[in-house]
Amino acid sequence: MQFLGKEITTPLTLASGILGISFSSLQRIIRDGAGMVTTKSLSLEPRIGHEGPVIAEFEGGLVNSVGLTNPGIQEGLVEVEKFHKAFQGVSIVSVFGGNAAEFVQLTKFVNGSPADFLELNLSCPNVEDEFKRPFALMPEKITEIVTAVKAVSQIPILAKLSPNAYDVAEMATLAETAGADGITMINTLGHGMVIDAVAKRPVLRNNYGGISGPCIKPLALKLIRDVYQKVKIPILGTGGVSNGLDAVEMMMAGASAVAIGSAVYDRGLDVFKLTKSEMETFMAKHGYSDYSDLIGILQEN
Amino acid sequence: MRRDRVTLPIATIRQENSSLRTFTFDTPLKALPGQFVMLTIFGQGEKPFSILDATETSFSMTIKNIGPLTDRLFQMEVGELVSIRGPYGKAFSTEADRVLMVGGGYATPPLRFQSKVLRESEVNYLVNINGARTRSDLLYVSDFDEFCDRSLVATDDGSMGHKGTAVDVMAEVLEEESFDIIYISGPEKMMKAAVDVARKYAMPFEVNLERYMKCGVGICGSCVMDPNGFILCVEGPVVDHTNLGKLAEFGFSHRDKTGRIKPL
Repeated sequence: MQFLGKEITTPLTLASGILGISFSSLQRIIRDGAGMVTTKSLSLEPRIGHEGPVIAEFEGGLVNSVGLTNPGIQEGLVEVEKFHKAFQGVSIVSVFGGNAAEFVQLTKFVNGSPADFLELNLSCPNVEDEFKRPFALMPEKITEIVTAVKAVSQIPILAKLSPNAYDVAEMATLAETAGADGITMINTLGHGMVIDAVAKRPVLRNNYGGISGPCIKPLALKLIRDVYQKVKIPILGTGGVSNGLDAVEMMMAGASAVAIGSAVYDRGLDVFKLTKSEMETFMAKHGYSDYSDLIGILQEN
Repeated sequence: MRRDRVTLPIATIRQENSSLRTFTFDTPLKALPGQFVMLTIFGQGEKPFSILDATETSFSMTIKNIGPLTDRLFQMEVGELVSIRGPYGKAFSTEADRVLMVGGGYATPPLRFQSKVLRESEVNYLVNINGARTRSDLLYVSDFDEFCDRSLVATDDGSMGHKGTAVDVMAEVLEEESFDIIYISGPEKMMKAAVDVARKYAMPFEVNLERYMKCGVGICGSCVMDPNGFILCVEGPVVDHTNLGKLAEFGFSHRDKTGRIKPL
Protein backbone atom coordinates (compact mmCIF):
# COMPACT_ATOMS: atom_id res chain seq x y z
CA MET A 1 0.00 0.00 0.00
CA GLN A 2 0.99 3.65 -0.19
CA PHE A 3 1.11 6.47 2.34
CA LEU A 4 1.48 9.99 0.90
CA GLY A 5 2.91 8.53 -2.29
CA LYS A 6 5.48 6.25 -0.61
CA GLU A 7 5.21 2.50 -0.88
CA ILE A 8 4.94 0.95 2.59
CA THR A 9 4.98 -2.77 3.39
CA THR A 10 2.45 -2.44 6.22
CA PRO A 11 0.47 0.48 7.66
CA LEU A 12 2.08 -0.14 11.06
CA THR A 13 4.36 2.65 12.20
CA LEU A 14 6.57 3.31 15.18
CA ALA A 15 5.10 6.29 17.08
CA SER A 16 7.40 9.12 18.03
CA GLY A 17 9.05 8.87 21.42
CA ILE A 18 9.44 5.11 21.65
CA LEU A 19 12.93 3.63 21.04
CA GLY A 20 13.52 6.28 18.40
CA ILE A 21 16.93 7.73 19.23
CA SER A 22 19.28 5.57 17.21
CA PHE A 23 19.40 4.30 13.61
CA SER A 24 19.93 0.78 14.93
CA SER A 25 16.63 0.65 16.79
CA LEU A 26 14.77 2.28 13.87
CA GLN A 27 16.12 -0.32 11.44
CA ARG A 28 15.30 -3.10 13.86
CA ILE A 29 11.66 -1.99 14.12
CA ILE A 30 11.32 -2.06 10.32
CA ARG A 31 12.83 -5.57 10.33
CA ASP A 32 10.32 -6.51 13.04
CA GLY A 33 7.37 -5.65 10.79
CA ALA A 34 6.74 -1.88 10.79
CA GLY A 35 6.21 -0.05 7.49
CA MET A 36 7.36 3.33 8.81
CA VAL A 37 9.30 4.62 11.81
CA THR A 38 9.07 7.99 13.53
CA THR A 39 12.11 9.44 15.30
CA LYS A 40 11.92 10.97 18.74
CA SER A 41 11.13 14.66 18.39
CA LEU A 42 14.34 16.47 17.50
CA SER A 43 14.98 20.01 18.73
CA LEU A 44 17.65 22.50 17.64
CA GLU A 45 19.76 21.75 20.71
CA PRO A 46 20.25 18.39 22.50
CA ARG A 47 17.90 17.81 25.44
CA ILE A 48 18.35 15.49 28.41
CA GLY A 49 14.65 15.58 29.23
CA HIS A 50 13.17 15.11 32.68
CA GLU A 51 14.66 13.18 35.59
CA GLY A 52 13.26 9.71 36.24
CA PRO A 53 10.89 8.15 36.89
CA VAL A 54 9.74 9.21 33.43
CA ILE A 55 7.12 6.49 33.07
CA ALA A 56 4.43 5.36 35.50
CA GLU A 57 2.23 2.40 34.71
CA PHE A 58 -1.42 2.09 35.74
CA GLU A 59 -4.34 -0.23 34.90
CA GLY A 60 -5.25 1.57 31.69
CA GLY A 61 -1.84 2.33 30.28
CA LEU A 62 1.14 4.57 30.96
CA VAL A 63 1.73 8.13 32.02
CA ASN A 64 5.02 9.50 30.73
CA SER A 65 7.03 12.64 31.17
CA VAL A 66 10.14 11.92 29.14
CA GLY A 67 10.42 15.62 28.26
CA LEU A 68 11.68 15.44 24.66
CA THR A 69 15.00 13.71 25.30
CA ASN A 70 16.95 13.90 22.04
CA PRO A 71 20.49 14.40 20.72
CA GLY A 72 19.57 17.56 18.76
CA ILE A 73 18.59 17.92 15.10
CA GLN A 74 22.09 17.62 13.63
CA GLU A 75 23.06 14.43 15.52
CA GLY A 76 19.54 13.10 15.06
CA LEU A 77 19.73 13.48 11.29
CA VAL A 78 23.05 11.62 11.25
CA GLU A 79 21.06 8.69 12.69
CA VAL A 80 18.41 9.15 9.97
CA GLU A 81 21.13 9.13 7.31
CA LYS A 82 22.57 5.89 8.76
CA PHE A 83 19.05 4.47 8.86
CA HIS A 84 18.60 4.97 5.11
CA LYS A 85 22.08 3.80 4.12
CA ALA A 86 21.62 0.55 2.19
CA PHE A 87 18.33 -0.03 4.00
CA GLN A 88 14.71 -0.07 2.81
CA GLY A 89 12.32 1.70 5.15
CA VAL A 90 10.24 4.84 5.35
CA SER A 91 11.25 7.43 7.95
CA ILE A 92 9.26 10.18 9.57
CA VAL A 93 11.41 12.79 11.28
CA SER A 94 9.58 14.40 14.18
CA VAL A 95 10.69 17.90 15.12
CA PHE A 96 9.88 20.20 18.01
CA GLY A 97 10.49 23.95 18.05
CA GLY A 98 9.71 26.69 20.56
CA ASN A 99 8.20 28.95 17.85
CA ALA A 100 7.56 29.12 14.09
CA ALA A 101 11.07 30.39 13.35
CA GLU A 102 12.60 27.38 15.11
CA PHE A 103 10.31 25.00 13.21
CA VAL A 104 11.51 26.63 9.97
CA GLN A 105 15.16 26.24 11.00
CA LEU A 106 14.53 22.58 11.86
CA THR A 107 12.79 22.06 8.51
CA LYS A 108 15.81 23.44 6.65
CA PHE A 109 18.03 20.88 8.41
CA VAL A 110 15.60 18.09 7.49
CA ASN A 111 15.60 19.27 3.84
CA GLY A 112 19.24 18.24 3.62
CA SER A 113 18.51 14.71 4.86
CA PRO A 114 17.10 11.55 3.27
CA ALA A 115 13.99 11.67 5.53
CA ASP A 116 10.72 10.73 3.81
CA PHE A 117 8.28 12.77 5.90
CA LEU A 118 8.44 15.59 8.42
CA GLU A 119 6.19 15.44 11.49
CA LEU A 120 5.58 18.66 13.42
CA ASN A 121 5.16 17.90 17.10
CA LEU A 122 2.75 20.69 17.96
CA SER A 123 1.31 18.87 20.93
CA CYS A 124 3.89 17.65 23.48
CA PRO A 125 2.23 17.94 26.89
CA ASN A 126 5.46 17.51 28.85
CA VAL A 127 7.26 20.76 28.29
CA GLU A 128 4.63 23.32 29.27
CA ASP A 129 6.86 24.68 32.03
CA GLU A 130 9.35 25.64 29.35
CA PHE A 131 7.23 26.34 26.30
CA LYS A 132 3.79 27.18 27.73
CA ARG A 133 0.60 25.96 26.11
CA PRO A 134 1.07 23.39 23.30
CA PHE A 135 0.65 24.93 19.84
CA ALA A 136 -1.98 22.33 18.88
CA LEU A 137 -4.39 24.02 21.30
CA MET A 138 -4.00 27.43 19.64
CA PRO A 139 -5.65 27.83 16.21
CA GLU A 140 -3.50 30.81 15.16
CA LYS A 141 -0.27 28.94 16.06
CA ILE A 142 -1.26 25.89 14.01
CA THR A 143 -1.85 28.13 11.00
CA GLU A 144 1.33 30.15 11.56
CA ILE A 145 3.69 27.19 12.06
CA VAL A 146 2.26 24.93 9.33
CA THR A 147 2.22 27.81 6.81
CA ALA A 148 5.83 28.74 7.62
CA VAL A 149 7.07 25.14 7.43
CA LYS A 150 5.14 24.38 4.23
CA ALA A 151 6.84 27.31 2.52
CA VAL A 152 10.30 25.74 2.99
CA SER A 153 9.82 21.98 3.38
CA GLN A 154 10.89 19.78 0.46
CA ILE A 155 9.04 16.74 1.82
CA PRO A 156 5.42 16.11 2.89
CA ILE A 157 4.56 17.37 6.38
CA LEU A 158 2.34 15.84 9.04
CA ALA A 159 0.89 17.98 11.83
CA LYS A 160 0.72 16.06 15.12
CA LEU A 161 -2.39 17.12 17.01
CA SER A 162 -3.46 16.94 20.63
CA PRO A 163 -6.64 15.32 21.96
CA ASN A 164 -6.82 18.16 24.47
CA ALA A 165 -8.11 20.75 22.00
CA TYR A 166 -11.80 21.57 22.32
CA ASP A 167 -12.48 20.95 18.63
CA VAL A 168 -9.76 18.69 17.20
CA ALA A 169 -11.45 18.46 13.77
CA GLU A 170 -11.31 22.26 13.52
CA MET A 171 -7.56 22.14 14.36
CA ALA A 172 -7.05 19.53 11.64
CA THR A 173 -8.92 21.69 9.13
CA LEU A 174 -6.68 24.64 9.97
CA ALA A 175 -3.59 22.47 9.48
CA GLU A 176 -4.91 21.24 6.12
CA THR A 177 -5.74 24.76 4.96
CA ALA A 178 -2.23 25.92 5.98
CA GLY A 179 -0.72 23.22 3.76
CA ALA A 180 -0.24 20.12 5.92
CA ASP A 181 -0.02 16.96 3.81
CA GLY A 182 -1.28 14.73 6.61
CA ILE A 183 -2.36 14.63 10.25
CA THR A 184 -0.81 12.53 13.01
CA MET A 185 -3.22 12.03 15.89
CA ILE A 186 -3.57 11.71 18.80
CA ASN A 187 -0.66 12.74 21.00
CA THR A 188 -0.89 11.68 24.65
CA LEU A 189 -3.91 12.78 26.65
CA GLY A 190 -4.04 15.08 29.58
CA HIS A 191 -1.95 15.62 31.89
CA GLY A 192 -2.48 12.68 34.12
CA MET A 193 -1.03 11.67 37.46
CA VAL A 194 -0.22 8.32 39.02
CA ILE A 195 -0.07 8.41 42.81
CA ASP A 196 1.91 6.19 45.13
CA ALA A 197 -0.32 5.98 48.21
CA VAL A 198 2.34 4.53 50.51
CA ALA A 199 4.71 7.37 49.79
CA LYS A 200 1.98 10.02 49.40
CA ARG A 201 3.77 11.11 46.22
CA PRO A 202 3.13 11.24 42.48
CA VAL A 203 5.20 8.48 40.88
CA LEU A 204 6.63 10.68 38.11
CA ARG A 205 9.51 12.93 39.11
CA ASN A 206 7.77 15.61 37.04
CA ASN A 207 4.53 14.87 38.97
CA TYR A 208 2.37 14.63 35.84
CA GLY A 209 2.65 13.51 32.24
CA GLY A 210 0.84 12.48 29.08
CA ILE A 211 -1.53 9.50 29.25
CA SER A 212 -1.17 6.73 26.66
CA GLY A 213 -2.15 3.10 26.21
CA PRO A 214 -5.43 1.18 25.92
CA CYS A 215 -7.45 3.71 27.95
CA ILE A 216 -7.09 6.43 25.31
CA LYS A 217 -8.07 4.24 22.33
CA PRO A 218 -11.83 5.09 22.40
CA LEU A 219 -10.97 8.79 22.40
CA ALA A 220 -8.49 8.34 19.54
CA LEU A 221 -11.07 6.44 17.48
CA LYS A 222 -13.75 9.11 17.97
CA LEU A 223 -11.42 12.00 17.19
CA ILE A 224 -9.92 10.26 14.13
CA ARG A 225 -13.46 9.70 12.86
CA ASP A 226 -14.30 13.39 13.35
CA VAL A 227 -11.16 14.48 11.52
CA TYR A 228 -11.60 11.91 8.72
CA GLN A 229 -15.00 13.38 8.00
CA LYS A 230 -13.66 16.95 7.92
CA VAL A 231 -10.36 16.76 5.97
CA LYS A 232 -9.14 15.16 2.74
CA ILE A 233 -5.49 14.62 3.77
CA PRO A 234 -4.49 11.21 5.19
CA ILE A 235 -4.36 10.49 8.91
CA LEU A 236 -1.58 8.61 10.70
CA GLY A 237 -3.65 7.26 13.59
CA THR A 238 -2.16 6.59 17.01
CA GLY A 239 -3.44 6.19 20.57
CA GLY A 240 -3.78 2.95 22.48
CA VAL A 241 -3.25 0.49 19.63
CA SER A 242 -1.95 -2.79 21.09
CA ASN A 243 -3.06 -5.49 18.65
CA GLY A 244 -4.31 -6.20 15.15
CA LEU A 245 -7.96 -5.64 15.97
CA ASP A 246 -7.15 -2.22 17.45
CA ALA A 247 -5.29 -1.33 14.26
CA VAL A 248 -8.20 -2.49 12.07
CA GLU A 249 -10.64 -0.41 14.13
CA MET A 250 -8.47 2.67 13.80
CA MET A 251 -8.21 2.30 10.03
CA MET A 252 -11.98 1.78 9.79
CA ALA A 253 -12.41 5.04 11.73
CA GLY A 254 -10.35 6.79 9.07
CA ALA A 255 -6.62 6.29 9.63
CA SER A 256 -4.51 5.51 6.53
CA ALA A 257 -1.70 4.15 8.72
CA VAL A 258 -1.48 3.30 12.41
CA ALA A 259 1.30 4.07 14.86
CA ILE A 260 2.13 1.96 17.92
CA GLY A 261 3.87 3.26 21.03
CA SER A 262 3.04 2.24 24.58
CA ALA A 263 2.12 -1.31 23.57
CA VAL A 264 5.86 -2.02 23.35
CA TYR A 265 5.74 -1.96 27.17
CA ASP A 266 3.35 -4.93 27.37
CA ARG A 267 4.21 -6.89 24.22
CA GLY A 268 7.85 -5.96 23.55
CA LEU A 269 9.20 -5.30 20.07
CA ASP A 270 7.28 -8.34 18.85
CA VAL A 271 4.22 -6.10 18.96
CA PHE A 272 4.80 -5.13 15.29
CA LYS A 273 5.12 -8.70 14.06
CA LEU A 274 2.16 -9.83 16.18
CA THR A 275 -0.08 -6.92 15.22
CA LYS A 276 0.68 -7.42 11.53
CA SER A 277 -0.25 -11.10 11.66
CA GLU A 278 -3.37 -10.39 13.74
CA MET A 279 -4.45 -7.82 11.13
CA GLU A 280 -3.87 -10.29 8.31
CA THR A 281 -5.86 -12.98 10.12
CA PHE A 282 -8.79 -10.59 10.57
CA MET A 283 -8.63 -9.42 6.97
CA ALA A 284 -8.48 -12.94 5.54
CA LYS A 285 -11.39 -14.06 7.71
CA HIS A 286 -13.57 -11.10 6.75
CA GLY A 287 -12.65 -10.82 3.09
CA TYR A 288 -10.42 -7.73 2.92
CA SER A 289 -7.63 -8.12 0.38
CA ASP A 290 -5.67 -4.92 0.98
CA TYR A 291 -4.94 -2.77 4.02
CA SER A 292 -6.27 0.25 2.15
CA ASP A 293 -9.70 -1.44 1.87
CA LEU A 294 -10.13 -0.73 5.58
CA ILE A 295 -9.65 3.02 5.52
CA GLY A 296 -12.70 4.93 6.72
CA ILE A 297 -15.22 2.15 5.99
CA LEU A 298 -16.99 2.50 9.34
CA GLN A 299 -20.75 2.89 8.97
CA GLU A 300 -22.28 5.05 11.66
CA ASN A 301 -25.57 3.99 13.29
CA MET B 1 -0.96 -2.59 32.12
CA ARG B 2 1.11 -4.61 34.53
CA ARG B 3 2.21 -2.73 37.63
CA ASP B 4 5.76 -3.39 38.71
CA ARG B 5 6.30 -0.85 41.45
CA VAL B 6 6.52 -1.42 45.22
CA THR B 7 7.26 1.26 47.80
CA LEU B 8 8.94 0.12 51.00
CA PRO B 9 11.28 1.17 53.80
CA ILE B 10 15.02 0.51 53.87
CA ALA B 11 15.46 -2.41 56.32
CA THR B 12 19.21 -2.31 56.89
CA ILE B 13 22.23 -0.33 55.69
CA ARG B 14 25.71 -1.84 55.83
CA GLN B 15 28.91 0.06 55.09
CA GLU B 16 31.09 -2.13 52.83
CA ASN B 17 34.02 0.27 52.42
CA SER B 18 34.64 4.00 52.08
CA SER B 19 32.33 4.43 49.04
CA LEU B 20 29.99 1.41 49.05
CA ARG B 21 26.93 0.56 51.09
CA THR B 22 24.56 -2.39 50.97
CA PHE B 23 20.86 -1.60 51.30
CA THR B 24 18.48 -4.42 52.25
CA PHE B 25 14.69 -4.56 51.91
CA ASP B 26 12.47 -6.98 53.80
CA THR B 27 10.31 -8.25 50.99
CA PRO B 28 10.72 -11.21 48.63
CA LEU B 29 12.03 -10.57 45.12
CA LYS B 30 12.12 -13.28 42.48
CA ALA B 31 15.43 -12.20 41.02
CA LEU B 32 18.39 -13.95 39.44
CA PRO B 33 22.06 -12.92 39.36
CA GLY B 34 22.70 -10.23 36.73
CA GLN B 35 19.18 -8.81 36.89
CA PHE B 36 18.58 -5.28 38.15
CA VAL B 37 15.92 -3.13 39.76
CA MET B 38 14.98 0.52 39.16
CA LEU B 39 15.16 2.43 42.45
CA THR B 40 13.27 5.68 42.92
CA ILE B 41 13.92 8.26 45.58
CA PHE B 42 10.84 10.46 45.53
CA GLY B 43 11.60 14.03 44.58
CA GLN B 44 15.08 13.02 43.45
CA GLY B 45 15.15 10.52 40.59
CA GLU B 46 15.33 6.91 39.48
CA LYS B 47 18.34 4.73 38.58
CA PRO B 48 19.07 1.05 37.83
CA PHE B 49 21.01 -1.06 40.35
CA SER B 50 22.15 -4.66 40.06
CA ILE B 51 21.06 -7.09 42.73
CA LEU B 52 23.43 -8.46 45.36
CA ASP B 53 21.07 -11.07 46.76
CA ALA B 54 17.41 -12.03 46.66
CA THR B 55 15.70 -14.60 48.89
CA GLU B 56 12.19 -15.55 49.91
CA THR B 57 12.25 -12.85 52.59
CA SER B 58 14.53 -10.05 51.40
CA PHE B 59 16.73 -8.56 48.71
CA SER B 60 19.69 -6.23 48.67
CA MET B 61 21.89 -4.07 46.48
CA THR B 62 25.47 -2.92 47.01
CA ILE B 63 25.67 0.64 45.77
CA LYS B 64 28.55 3.02 45.10
CA ASN B 65 28.03 6.70 45.74
CA ILE B 66 28.63 8.19 42.29
CA GLY B 67 26.05 10.94 41.71
CA PRO B 68 23.16 13.04 43.02
CA LEU B 69 20.74 10.11 43.47
CA THR B 70 23.21 7.87 45.31
CA ASP B 71 24.34 10.90 47.30
CA ARG B 72 20.76 11.35 48.49
CA LEU B 73 20.46 7.59 49.12
CA PHE B 74 23.59 7.68 51.30
CA GLN B 75 21.95 10.39 53.45
CA MET B 76 18.91 8.17 54.05
CA GLU B 77 18.37 6.09 57.16
CA VAL B 78 16.75 2.77 57.97
CA GLY B 79 12.96 3.10 57.77
CA GLU B 80 12.91 5.78 55.05
CA LEU B 81 10.85 4.95 51.96
CA VAL B 82 12.11 4.27 48.47
CA SER B 83 10.30 2.74 45.52
CA ILE B 84 11.49 -0.28 43.55
CA ARG B 85 10.49 -1.71 40.15
CA GLY B 86 11.76 -5.01 38.86
CA PRO B 87 13.55 -7.31 38.67
CA TYR B 88 14.33 -6.57 35.03
CA GLY B 89 16.67 -7.93 32.39
CA LYS B 90 18.35 -11.17 31.48
CA ALA B 91 20.35 -13.04 34.13
CA PHE B 92 23.54 -15.10 33.93
CA SER B 93 23.04 -18.66 32.69
CA THR B 94 23.31 -21.44 35.27
CA GLU B 95 23.73 -24.66 33.29
CA ALA B 96 27.51 -24.95 33.14
CA ASP B 97 29.49 -27.52 35.09
CA ARG B 98 32.93 -25.90 35.24
CA VAL B 99 32.69 -22.17 35.79
CA LEU B 100 35.19 -19.32 35.92
CA MET B 101 34.12 -15.88 37.16
CA VAL B 102 36.17 -12.71 36.63
CA GLY B 103 35.12 -9.57 38.48
CA GLY B 104 36.46 -6.08 38.90
CA GLY B 105 35.86 -3.39 41.52
CA TYR B 106 32.30 -2.58 42.50
CA ALA B 107 30.85 -4.70 39.65
CA THR B 108 31.41 -7.92 41.60
CA PRO B 109 28.09 -8.10 43.56
CA PRO B 110 26.23 -9.95 40.72
CA LEU B 111 29.07 -12.50 40.66
CA ARG B 112 28.79 -12.98 44.43
CA PHE B 113 25.05 -13.64 43.90
CA GLN B 114 25.86 -15.97 40.97
CA SER B 115 28.42 -17.94 43.00
CA LYS B 116 25.84 -18.45 45.76
CA VAL B 117 23.19 -19.64 43.29
CA LEU B 118 25.65 -21.93 41.50
CA ARG B 119 26.81 -23.43 44.80
CA GLU B 120 23.19 -24.17 45.73
CA SER B 121 22.69 -25.79 42.31
CA GLU B 122 25.73 -28.01 42.94
CA VAL B 123 28.02 -26.70 40.25
CA ASN B 124 30.94 -29.07 39.84
CA TYR B 125 33.89 -26.68 39.82
CA LEU B 126 33.72 -22.94 40.51
CA VAL B 127 36.64 -20.53 40.35
CA ASN B 128 36.40 -16.81 41.08
CA ILE B 129 38.93 -14.06 40.43
CA ASN B 130 38.18 -10.96 42.45
CA GLY B 131 40.07 -7.87 41.26
CA ALA B 132 40.36 -4.33 42.62
CA ARG B 133 42.81 -1.46 42.78
CA THR B 134 43.65 -2.09 46.40
CA ARG B 135 42.77 -4.35 49.31
CA SER B 136 40.13 -2.02 50.82
CA ASP B 137 38.24 -1.95 47.48
CA LEU B 138 37.81 -5.74 47.37
CA LEU B 139 34.28 -6.94 48.04
CA TYR B 140 32.95 -10.21 49.49
CA VAL B 141 36.29 -12.00 49.70
CA SER B 142 35.05 -14.34 52.45
CA ASP B 143 31.79 -15.08 50.56
CA PHE B 144 33.73 -16.02 47.43
CA ASP B 145 36.02 -18.16 49.63
CA GLU B 146 32.95 -19.93 50.98
CA PHE B 147 31.09 -20.49 47.68
CA CYS B 148 34.01 -21.20 45.31
CA ASP B 149 36.37 -24.12 44.89
CA ARG B 150 39.17 -21.68 44.12
CA SER B 151 38.89 -18.07 45.25
CA LEU B 152 41.64 -15.85 43.80
CA VAL B 153 42.34 -12.19 44.46
CA ALA B 154 44.22 -9.60 42.41
CA THR B 155 45.05 -6.03 43.40
CA ASP B 156 46.78 -3.44 41.23
CA ASP B 157 49.05 -2.45 44.12
CA GLY B 158 49.66 -5.97 45.42
CA SER B 159 48.13 -5.18 48.83
CA MET B 160 46.29 -8.52 48.69
CA GLY B 161 46.62 -11.59 46.46
CA HIS B 162 48.35 -11.38 43.09
CA LYS B 163 49.88 -8.04 42.16
CA GLY B 164 48.20 -7.09 38.89
CA THR B 165 44.75 -7.20 37.32
CA ALA B 166 42.04 -9.85 37.47
CA VAL B 167 42.56 -10.30 33.72
CA ASP B 168 46.26 -11.13 34.25
CA VAL B 169 45.23 -13.86 36.70
CA MET B 170 42.53 -15.03 34.31
CA ALA B 171 45.12 -15.61 31.57
CA GLU B 172 47.28 -17.61 33.99
CA VAL B 173 44.34 -19.77 35.09
CA LEU B 174 43.31 -20.44 31.49
CA GLU B 175 46.84 -21.64 30.70
CA GLU B 176 46.27 -24.47 33.21
CA GLU B 177 42.55 -25.22 33.16
CA SER B 178 39.54 -25.08 30.87
CA PHE B 179 35.96 -24.12 31.67
CA ASP B 180 32.48 -24.51 30.20
CA ILE B 181 31.80 -20.81 30.65
CA ILE B 182 33.33 -17.58 31.96
CA TYR B 183 31.17 -14.94 33.67
CA ILE B 184 32.67 -11.44 33.50
CA SER B 185 31.55 -8.34 35.41
CA GLY B 186 33.60 -5.16 35.75
CA PRO B 187 34.40 -1.80 34.20
CA GLU B 188 33.95 -2.04 30.40
CA LYS B 189 37.65 -1.63 29.58
CA MET B 190 38.49 -4.47 31.97
CA MET B 191 35.70 -6.61 30.47
CA LYS B 192 37.01 -5.87 26.96
CA ALA B 193 40.43 -7.15 28.02
CA ALA B 194 38.86 -10.21 29.66
CA VAL B 195 36.79 -10.93 26.53
CA ASP B 196 39.95 -10.77 24.39
CA VAL B 197 41.55 -13.37 26.67
CA ALA B 198 38.44 -15.60 26.66
CA ARG B 199 38.37 -15.48 22.85
CA LYS B 200 42.08 -16.32 22.67
CA TYR B 201 41.36 -19.50 24.63
CA ALA B 202 38.15 -20.08 22.60
CA MET B 203 35.94 -20.23 25.69
CA PRO B 204 32.28 -19.20 25.84
CA PHE B 205 31.54 -16.26 28.11
CA GLU B 206 28.88 -13.87 29.36
CA VAL B 207 29.47 -10.23 30.27
CA ASN B 208 27.42 -7.91 32.47
CA LEU B 209 27.09 -4.62 30.56
CA GLU B 210 26.12 -1.14 31.66
CA ARG B 211 24.56 1.65 29.58
CA TYR B 212 22.54 4.73 30.50
CA MET B 213 19.04 3.43 31.29
CA LYS B 214 16.00 5.59 31.86
CA CYS B 215 12.90 3.35 31.67
CA GLY B 216 14.32 -0.14 32.29
CA VAL B 217 11.53 -1.78 30.30
CA GLY B 218 12.61 -1.37 26.67
CA ILE B 219 10.62 1.63 25.53
CA CYS B 220 12.68 4.80 25.95
CA GLY B 221 15.60 3.73 23.75
CA SER B 222 18.35 5.19 25.97
CA CYS B 223 20.28 1.92 26.36
CA VAL B 224 19.93 0.62 22.79
CA MET B 225 23.29 -0.55 21.40
CA ASP B 226 24.71 -0.26 17.88
CA PRO B 227 24.71 -1.46 15.21
CA ASN B 228 21.80 -3.90 15.60
CA GLY B 229 19.49 -2.12 18.05
CA PHE B 230 20.10 -4.50 20.96
CA ILE B 231 17.92 -3.29 23.86
CA LEU B 232 20.24 -3.77 26.81
CA CYS B 233 17.70 -3.30 29.63
CA VAL B 234 15.49 -6.11 28.26
CA GLU B 235 17.83 -8.33 26.23
CA GLY B 236 20.77 -7.75 28.61
CA PRO B 237 22.37 -6.61 30.82
CA VAL B 238 23.99 -10.05 30.72
CA VAL B 239 25.14 -10.63 27.13
CA ASP B 240 26.55 -13.92 25.83
CA HIS B 241 29.54 -14.20 23.52
CA THR B 242 27.39 -14.65 20.39
CA ASN B 243 25.37 -11.49 20.96
CA LEU B 244 28.41 -9.55 22.17
CA GLY B 245 30.15 -10.33 18.88
CA LYS B 246 27.47 -8.28 17.11
CA LEU B 247 27.73 -5.26 19.42
CA ALA B 248 30.44 -3.30 17.65
CA GLU B 249 30.25 -0.45 20.19
CA PHE B 250 31.36 -2.71 23.08
CA GLY B 251 34.65 -1.39 24.44
CA PHE B 252 34.53 1.70 22.23
CA SER B 253 31.50 3.94 22.64
CA HIS B 254 28.21 4.54 24.41
CA ARG B 255 25.38 7.06 24.19
CA ASP B 256 24.97 9.92 26.65
CA LYS B 257 21.71 11.06 28.30
CA THR B 258 20.58 12.84 25.11
CA GLY B 259 21.44 9.91 22.82
CA ARG B 260 24.68 11.32 21.39
CA ILE B 261 27.48 8.83 20.71
CA LYS B 262 30.51 9.31 23.00
CA PRO B 263 33.82 7.44 23.21
CA LEU B 264 33.97 5.12 26.20
